[in-house]
Amino acid sequence: MSPPLDVRQRALGVWGGRITLRVKTAGRGAPLVYLHPASGLQFDPFLESLGTEYSIYAPEIPGTSAGDPHAIHEVDTLSDLVLIYEEAITQLELPEPPVVIGQSFGGMLAAELASYFPRLFKKVVLCDPIGLWRPDLPIANWMTTPAPQLPALLFKNPDCAAAQATFAPPPDPALAPIVLASFVWALGCTGKFVWPIPEKGLHKRLHRLTAPTMIVWGEDDALVPAAYAKEFGAAIAGSRVEIVRDAGHIPQAEQMETTLALVRDFLSA
Amino acid sequence: MKVSAFAQVGYRTFPEDFEHHHDSSVDTPWRLADPREVRAAFRDYLDGLMLAARLGFDGLVFTEHAQASYDMSANPSLTASALAYATESEGIEVAIFPAGRSLGKTREPVRVAEEYAAIDTVSGGRLVAGFPVGLPYDACLNNGIPPIELRPRFDENLELILRAWREDTPFAWNGTFSQLPSVNIWPRPQQRPRPPVWLTGIGNPATIQIALDRDFGFNYFSWFGIKATGPRVFDRFWELVDRQELPRNPYRLGLMQVVGVADSDAEAVRIFKPHVEYLFHKGPGAIKAENLAIPGTISLQGLQALMRDPSDMGIAGKLRTVSFDELVDMGSVIIGSPSTVLERIVEVVRRHHVGNLHVMLQFGSMPRHAAADNIGLFAASVLPTLRGLWTDEPWEHHWWPGRLGGRPVPEAASVRAARGGR
Repeated sequence: MSPPLDVRQRALGVWGGRITLRVKTAGRGAPLVYLHPASGLQFDPFLESLGTEYSIYAPEIPGTSAGDPHAIHEVDTLSDLVLIYEEAITQLELPEPPVVIGQSFGGMLAAELASYFPRLFKKVVLCDPIGLWRPDLPIANWMTTPAPQLPALLFKNPDCAAAQATFAPPPDPALAPIVLASFVWALGCTGKFVWPIPEKGLHKRLHRLTAPTMIVWGEDDALVPAAYAKEFGAAIAGSRVEIVRDAGHIPQAEQMETTLALVRDFLSA
Repeated sequence: MKVSAFAQVGYRTFPEDFEHHHDSSVDTPWRLADPREVRAAFRDYLDGLMLAARLGFDGLVFTEHAQASYDMSANPSLTASALAYATESEGIEVAIFPAGRSLGKTREPVRVAEEYAAIDTVSGGRLVAGFPVGLPYDACLNNGIPPIELRPRFDENLELILRAWREDTPFAWNGTFSQLPSVNIWPRPQQRPRPPVWLTGIGNPATIQIALDRDFGFNYFSWFGIKATGPRVFDRFWELVDRQELPRNPYRLGLMQVVGVADSDAEAVRIFKPHVEYLFHKGPGAIKAENLAIPGTISLQGLQALMRDPSDMGIAGKLRTVSFDELVDMGSVIIGSPSTVLERIVEVVRRHHVGNLHVMLQFGSMPRHAAADNIGLFAASVLPTLRGLWTDEPWEHHWWPGRLGGRPVPEAASVRAARGGR
């Protein structure tokens, strides 16, 4: 087990100075942009491992950064958000186009960015992304799912260590209200761009996504059914689809080694 | 004190175990409904309100809840327009008080301005214009509003409506949520510069602050147990009034209270207990908690405050199974003989300095005759004494239509007064 990464933060002035976008950075190597899911950014063991080979840049959705909850009110639409992220990634002045990994909400955002700006990323990894909608394959409403039911929505095995770690209360009980409030607020912030149906026209834009793309899906995803992997695969020319067994919505947590191997293989090819 | 009759149009004949299998909003199965019962519920709701009007209540108050079996009033302007015409044609001087159209929910704010203006016109200036932010399930699930936009939409829609009422000439509106090249509604309200405006809240200081800043009335409902929540919400209200050095005028404040009155305390319990239980267990209590607290509808600061101390919510979390005794004990309902009811109400409104009482006398599974008896006995034996409250103090009612004895303050002056002292 490698020592924990030293996570730093960069604050980027974007959107004409109306927003200060926080980007957490860690690791060393070629640039990798990580786009977090609806509940906000966590530096999990998956990212820790990637940090040994890549320089990770993980922007936080406006409103979800500590001490700046009102920033979300400066972003009206999903296309505003896409432009803001492009500004931020350009401002990072990376030595080469980065690869991007997006999880769930972040997967949709990665697909949007790569569709709007086909040369922005060298490669694209989408982990159980939202963004498409088939009437016969409803996507669960995670924002109205009672807290006790969330582990079963996100993990195939809600008792696994990764699930336990995800939902463990903070060590200091006095911090519990703060942590829980931030979690709920993050869902509210990201929900602004996908409520009430997480389909905002991405299917019309995916043909523009020309970067090499891998779609990774937990076989037993209870939130976004794995059948959507095929939909993304069909819409993105030349993409590779990988289904991870014994995993739910977060394969990189529930089957980290398998997912890491797939990601490493794809990114290094 | 102004005493109004409050009603919701609930479905009254669900099976006993309804709340163990179903919720009362969003996904309540229509197959459970008998259309004849629905029709009867609407008829009795309107008849009950008209009875109250004829018996001398000061106002008629009702609400908006779509896709809800406990209140099938999807648009309170419909109730308001029916009552406005019926009371006008009978010559009854009663306020028409929708508590009202949710401005976080609506995607057509100008239509709301028009509907209210039409109601004020038909009623000859008797509209009291209620504007709640809206319940998350109703705005966000029933109408697809992104939860985090609930309050910004309320703010913008309120500005647009007030301006649509106020301006003499057409104006363009370039908002975040509405873009309109020419706003010029016909009719404008009869009451100038505008009808009295009321907000309804559950204790959020931001909502109270808007009411004070804009010189609106503020309503609070007793569902969650006034014994626990009253000292928090109302004391907070009066602290904010004091902080702005505004007069402690009781007419700023309204309380909705469920009341059942009969000849004796024992008789009242016998009559109303099943209807009270039905009301709470199959109504507000059967709304999913997760549909009432959708992420984004409460600010981060508000979430932190609620998670540290959820006392503002009183007994909200257990309304699906709460006992009759606890509802009585907590003040969610007041049930008893005329003297008991009078004593309890006076105690509550004196304690919290409330100048407007909205009494819910038809509720739950009450059949038509039981509602009529409750309204009739209240009007005869409780209402006359309540009306005398506060009349020995020199307050004027600035939040009530002028035609009905109110003394509305011109808007510009009232906003100045709220912002800058006198």
